[in-house]
Amino acid sequence: MKKVYAFEKNCLGCGLCEVYCKTAHSKSKDIIKTYRKENITSAIVIEEILSPKAKTYFALQCRHCADPKCVKACISGAMYKDQNGIVKNIKEKCVGCLSCVLVCPFGAVKRNKDKERKIISKCDLCIETGTPACVENCPNNALKLMDEEEVK
Amino acid sequence: MEYLIIGNSVAGTSCAQKIRFNDKKGQITILSEESFPAYGRPLISYYLAGKVDSNLIQYRNDDFYRENKINVVLNCKALNIDSKNKKVKGSNGKEYSYDKLLIATGSVPFVPPVKGIENQKNTFTFLKLEDAKKIEKIITDKSNVIIVGAGLIGLKAAEALAGKVASISVVDLADRLMASVLDSQTALRIQKYIEKRDVKFYLSNTVAEVGKDSVVLKNGEKLPCDILIMAVGVKPNTEAALTAGIKVNRGIVVNEYMETSVKNIYAAGDCVESLDILSNQNKVLALWPNAYMQGETAGSNMSGVENKFAGSFAMNAIGFFGIQLISAGIVDPKDEKVSIYIEENEKEITYKKLLTLNNKLIGFALLNLPDRAGIYTSLINDDVKLDSLNYDITKKDIGLNVFPQDIRHNKLFRGNNK
Ligand SMILES: Cc1cc2nc3c(=O)[nH]c(=O)nc-3n(C[C@H](O)[C@H](O)[C@H](O)COP(=O)(O)OP(=O)(O)OC[C@H]3O[C@@H](n4cnc5c(N)ncnc54)[C@H](O)[C@@H]3O)c2cc1C
Ligand code: SF4
Ligand code: SF4
Repeated sequence: MKKVYAFEKNCLGCGLCEVYCKTAHSKSKDIIKTYRKENITSAIVIEEILSPKAKTYFALQCRHCADPKCVKACISGAMYKDQNGIVKNIKEKCVGCLSCVLVCPFGAVKRNKDKERKIISKCDLCIETGTPACVENCPNNALKLMDEEEVK
Repeated sequence: MEYLIIGNSVAGTSCAQKIRFNDKKGQITILSEESFPAYGRPLISYYLAGKVDSNLIQYRNDDFYRENKINVVLNCKALNIDSKNKKVKGSNGKEYSYDKLLIATGSVPFVPPVKGIENQKNTFTFLKLEDAKKIEKIITDKSNVIIVGAGLIGLKAAEALAGKVASISVVDLADRLMASVLDSQTALRIQKYIEKRDVKFYLSNTVAEVGKDSVVLKNGEKLPCDILIMAVGVKPNTEAALTAGIKVNRGIVVNEYMETSVKNIYAAGDCVESLDILSNQNKVLALWPNAYMQGETAGSNMSGVENKFAGSFAMNAIGFFGIQLISAGIVDPKDEKVSIYIEENEKEITYKKLLTLNNKLIGFALLNLPDRAGIYTSLINDDVKLDSLNYDITKKDIGLNVFPQDIRHNKLFRGNNK
């Protein structure tokens, strides 16, 4: 299957991928309105790598694991792997217990900051549109949608 | 091939799914004593609180059963296993034959003898959706509720009822809440927080006698009581296994393939005891993810793909009254060689406790600091040497940047979790 890979050398740590991730998952699909009015948590974690010379970064999304621990731990059945291998979260079913956060070895599941309903936020590879918004909008090609086999 | 599964919860469901993955033709039947389709058992408190309905609580949707061709027989308790003739007798009068059988009968509530308990007709346990439905029907804003047990289940019941009834009192023999996962300090902090939400605690105490509309505690105090919830604990349900003469200690004894002592019969989930990799002993770990993984392992072996259960350890993510507690491994050690690192903020009610031994992480507890907890869990699970990491995990928030570049790349690019 295809998933998003991060290339540390190219990543500026600018956070644009997060902005576009939020917009892609907003109601308005408008970057400004999303920022101002919609309280959305991106499905990306930007990590800083500490090196003696300079700071480098990479952006992390769900790895859509072959044997996903989050699916096994999920007490509600909200988390599941679909026929294409994409690990999805059914928002209506999620109760925000964070069992998935407890077991995801990548730390790729985030708490949704939404005050009303505490649920989680994780990468769905932008299934609705076909191309992940983070990949499309990264200014320095640090994120690529690639086939697993291609990468190996 | 005929596969038969006793118990329609997470262990049974994950087993059936794995069998179907390996064997497209075999016949899969699940027998369930309950009258509802499989549901998220931990969600019964969310149901009682009105946060999920009968529909959303269903664990897998109807398509799942159709696509995987799994036949579920509800309202049918397996009464007797005849391992010689490979047949199971159901309470519906039918007989079910099998080539491979899974026992996934889960837990039953442990109810200690209490004087006069028969006087209170509104006495419940809190393990099944049916329990939640019964409690839901009778509570009013005038009900005085006594919950016996300040563990996970008792506290989840208290949370669900908070604000809906006149009073909630939680009684426990232990000196603190959730004694199995919390040290005294953290437990006390959480207790104070919950007390502000009108739940009263009676710790190092117990219900000595139950009357018609009250209970008397061990210390002589008398509390009004209209509803009594017994949430002292659970124990493995070994009833069905015993009818087949299967070896049982505290739980059903299984090997690493989840096979019982009787040929062609497997067992998984809360009803078994299995390897706890931190104590290197067989234990009953009555936890959801554990039940899933064991059911899946059993299903794999039942359908001819050999697979070993790697063992597990205690882990839990618990939310109540807006508090989020995540813990795994050993959190209250007896061994004096264990180093304990604690970082806390009383105002924010956050707390981080990391426990290390011999250059390895053996446990952690995170109060209201859940982010990226799974990386800690993976350090325990993968037996990672702490001095191989990029930084001291007690000095900095955890991230994947803790792993040296080659290992990190292996994880991210090759999906190699180790
Ligand atoms: C209120 C509550 C909250 C919880 N919260 C958490 C949590 O946050 N995290 C966590 O990890 N775990 C939690 N747990 C524990 C978790 O629910 C269990 O570990 C898990 O459900 C075990 O799954 P299982 O498939 O082994 O068995 P069970 O879920 O116990 O299911 C066994 C099924 O088998 C049926 N059965 C038994 N005998 C027979 C028979 N002879 N014939 C037919 N059917 C039979 C039973 O009726 C039942 O439906 C919680 C439990 C409760 C009650
Ligand atoms: S959330 Fe974590 S465990 Fe689940 S598929 Fe994604 S990376 Fe894997
Ligand atoms: S937080 Fe939601 S998706 Fe994660 S385990 Fe709990 S119910 Fe499942």
